[in-house]
Amino acid sequence: MSAVLELEGVRTRLAGQWLHDGVNFRVNKGEVVALIGGSGSGKTVLLRECVGLLRPTSGRIQLLGQDLWSLSPEDLNRLRQRFGMLFQEGALFSSLTVAENVAAPLREHTDLPARLRDQVVALDIRLAGLPLDAAGKRPAELSGGMKKRAALARALALQPEMLFLDEPTSGLDPISAREFDRLLRTLCDSLGLTALLTSHDLDTLWGMVDRVVVLNDGKVIAEGPVAEVAKVDQPWIQSYFSARTSSKGATNGI
Amino acid sequence: MTDRQSFTLESTESGAVLRLAGEWRLAHLVEMDQALAGAVWPKGRLTVDGAALTGLDSAGVMLLYRRLQAAGVSWSQVDLAGFDAERLPLLDLVTDRLTAPGAAVPAPPGWLARLGRWVSEAVGVLPDWLNFLGRVGAALWQVLRRPASLRGRETVVQLEAVGLRAVPIVALMTFLIGVVFAYLLGIQIEKYGANIFIVDGVSMAMARELSPLLVAILMAGRSGAAFTAQIGAMKVTEEIDAITTLGLSPMQVLVLPRLIAIVIAMPLLTFFGDVVGIAGSAVVAASQLDITLVTFVNRLKDVLPLDMVVYGLYKAPVFAAAIALIACRNGFAVSRDARSIGERTTSTVVSSLVAVILINALFAILHPEAT
Repeated sequence: MSAVLELEGVRTRLAGQWLHDGVNFRVNKGEVVALIGGSGSGKTVLLRECVGLLRPTSGRIQLLGQDLWSLSPEDLNRLRQRFGMLFQEGALFSSLTVAENVAAPLREHTDLPARLRDQVVALDIRLAGLPLDAAGKRPAELSGGMKKRAALARALALQPEMLFLDEPTSGLDPISAREFDRLLRTLCDSLGLTALLTSHDLDTLWGMVDRVVVLNDGKVIAEGPVAEVAKVDQPWIQSYFSARTSSKGATNGI
Repeated sequence: MTDRQSFTLESTESGAVLRLAGEWRLAHLVEMDQALAGAVWPKGRLTVDGAALTGLDSAGVMLLYRRLQAAGVSWSQVDLAGFDAERLPLLDLVTDRLTAPGAAVPAPPGWLARLGRWVSEAVGVLPDWLNFLGRVGAALWQVLRRPASLRGRETVVQLEAVGLRAVPIVALMTFLIGVVFAYLLGIQIEKYGANIFIVDGVSMAMARELSPLLVAILMAGRSGAAFTAQIGAMKVTEEIDAITTLGLSPMQVLVLPRLIAIVIAMPLLTFFGDVVGIAGSAVVAASQLDITLVTFVNRLKDVLPLDMVVYGLYKAPVFAAAIALIACRNGFAVSRDARSIGERTTSTVVSSLVAVILINALFAILHPEAT
């Protein structure tokens, strides 16, 4: 298995504290990996470092065969066309319609004529499971679940090899969340995508993730398939995974 | 396989075979599309052979599907052969999603529809305004009946922001205008040896028109824009809904403090502007026209009637109320997207400037005796 993403000794100092103190893990091609950890454990920060938004204090991040933080700005932008990012709140451009949002990366990075671009946009919207009549709507008119799908369609527009997802199911009701999980899994399997996501949703972890990476106190304290990680005898992991057994139906750990 | 030769189409006894080769990816979509456009499609069953493909993504599958569809070959008539096992799920997913019936993307509205929408929006502004004025009026009435319900603290905070903090810029602007005005008037007046009349000209112009207008223009740009941006940002983050949900009135909490603060601050700033502007011209009079400060002040007592100062001052609260109402109403009209705040803030500044000039003209017509 070839590694699509590899983190080596990533250390991050934020506000005078070491948020990450030597994080190591890798994500192989075709895998869906979840990054878990308590609130404030730096999951989102780590994700932002992986997509080139925030420079780690030290350490190396190898993404799609390139050392992310030693790239020139031009090369970094070229690399950015090869992965997609789904932000927690969707981060759709609020003054554009859904279709224009999805078309935005295509306009910028390809020279497709309008007819082909519209076809690709319509396909991405369908792939993300949105009805086509949502295409003409503004993000403010969409429900939370539809916003996430629209953002997913935009992330898929440039045919990325890797997807980063920050809390893809947060703010969704359990039914929509499971649907979104299924959609994501189908897309990853069919389009051959690799995905790294952060999540608090135990059902997502049990349902669709190949591997889990547990971040605690700035380090990776466990990694592996969910069933194995859940058995690790570590206080934080135990309380995290028992959050569900003790209160059935609650989906948010901690 | 080169990019040029991305597919071959051949007829065999059992039907036509389409052999795909090379990279069927988004990056090559335009070339593929042009190549496919020239193809002559045979009738009957079609076999698509993907053995020579080096790359395939959803856009490539979509293109093939759309082209076949346009040629009258439905996907159900297509046999797949030679595809890598890992590409089959991609083909299935994309063709499945494309086959699923869905509403077409709605066409963008025509010019008539756009005109209609524009007119109805323009007309719709009127009831919105009435509604807004009514709610402000109701809130004001409540404050008059129960003065304790006024948000004193917030009003004082606003008073500081729109009044006290505007003092330096008002002083700078009116002083400079006073200097320039006196200087230019002085050049003309000197020719007739009528130096002393500089006092008449400058003081009347300042008190009657210049200071009230200058301060109003400053307020429209400074405080009006701030009101719209503040209230608009609160609208975007749903803070206004939160205020309502907590059982408070956004009018009481947000609009009245701003309205009252600016209505109080504007006459004060205008009077301050009168004084500083006349002081600026007194400096020029002393240095250029040989009129001492004592002479200037004595002449000022004789030629500047109190009426005219009061006339200038009582325009100020009207300007202020117009600016505050326009600014707050634009703040509430912000919709939940990023561009809207900018548009509304611009609209506030432009509309309040127009309103100020119009109100000023109205005053001039209604009070010609003040000249």
